Amino acid sequence: MQQIGLVFNGVWSQYAMATAPKYRDIYELVYVHDLSYEAVRHLQALVIPFQSNQEALVRRRDALYRFLSDGKKIAVFGDSLPLWLDAQWEDRPVNNYWWVENPKNPPISQTKYEHPVYQGLKPRHACWHIHGVYTRIPENSEVIQRNDKGEIITWQTERYGGVLFASTLDPIVEHGIQQIRHLDNYVDKLTAWLCGTTPQGKFEVDSNIYGAGHICCHSNALA
Amino acid sequence: MLKAAVISNAIVGLNESYISNDLVDYRIETITENFDPDLSDVDLLIVPNGSDHIAMLKIKDKVGDFLGDGKTLCCFCGWFTDWVPGNQWKHDNTKATKDFLLAIKTDRYGLFDGLNLDKFNYNHGITGWWACGYIEANPEADVVLEDAWHRPIMVLDEVTTNGLMILTASGPVGDYRRRPGNDDGIAGLNRHILELATQRRESHATNRVGV
Repeated sequence: MQQIGLVFNGVWSQYAMATAPKYRDIYELVYVHDLSYEAVRHLQALVIPFQSNQEALVRRRDALYRFLSDGKKIAVFGDSLPLWLDAQWEDRPVNNYWWVENPKNPPISQTKYEHPVYQGLKPRHACWHIHGVYTRIPENSEVIQRNDKGEIITWQTERYGGVLFASTLDPIVEHGIQQIRHLDNYVDKLTAWLCGTTPQGKFEVDSNIYGAGHICCHSNALA
Repeated sequence: MLKAAVISNAIVGLNESYISNDLVDYRIETITENFDPDLSDVDLLIVPNGSDHIAMLKIKDKVGDFLGDGKTLCCFCGWFTDWVPGNQWKHDNTKATKDFLLAIKTDRYGLFDGLNLDKFNYNHGITGWWACGYIEANPEADVVLEDAWHRPIMVLDEVTTNGLMILTASGPVGDYRRRPGNDDGIAGLNRHILELATQRRESHATNRVGV
């Protein structure tokens, strides 16, 4: 039974991750324009990936915070708008070639490895590249990752009932793209933290679900 | 001037890659729950990298009518739903990105004339960055770019419909001149595509006058 809702902006990489055989029994695609509290209340957690429709999320803000108030978890990746997330995200140039040109200076320099998502991860698995930083986060939030300038990359707060986790990393989109092949480590830890189930096996692509056989949103049923 | 509609699902950075200029007047069509754009007054429909292919499937028939009118569709994203006539993008992770090299196959309109293919093959020395998966193309369409395994990566299709389709296997194309050194890379390709769409619009208008 699917336990995590992936708030879905119709982007192929988001689709690829959630519908991969390794993950599709755990993640349910929740099309952002169909997002409501009633549509997600049966789930344990939500993931809002990079390349989300921030304008649509502003319109669905109440559903997200009602979900959190039930004591559940939401993980947000990439950019965000302060109109729905009480924090300030700022853009920064994406450096996805540091590991070639300057491998001793990754985009993240501090990580709290005691956090369940990061426990047991190697530094390379906890940092590939970032999409911006947070310059303001809610009071009493816990900072989990920073860059070498001390800017905030990853943080979480429990002030809304459940746990709101936010990071400018992009594990869902990049794992779907499959150009970075070590992201099973991060995504599997994230998944286990969100719902208690650890995905098994390797990431494989099911060619049959591209094209006429694409999987629908909500139930992940075949079209 | 070319009139283009750019489909937007409000992802960060999209709008700044499609700013109107001397060649084209862009109009951003933002996707909402009631997405139903009016394409009647545009010559070019652009579906950029990172698009919403659930929304595009909803307007599949409208896109078909648009192409039936002889207009131009550019899709620079992995269309996992089957809204593009005659061609299907497929995801694939069986090939290592380090082995991924593009080659020009059939470029009858010179889209890559004067461009540096290395700009598409290498990003800071890293290969395999510009495309993902491949296209199951209409066998009659032109394969402009293919990968090392001879799979279509960029397709130019004038045969499936009355219109022109320029499709990439998720290779991003846009007005990325804000990124230095791109005039003979993506920004150059973007300009050549806009020039081709302009030529097509003008010849289409002439043919209509002739009728």
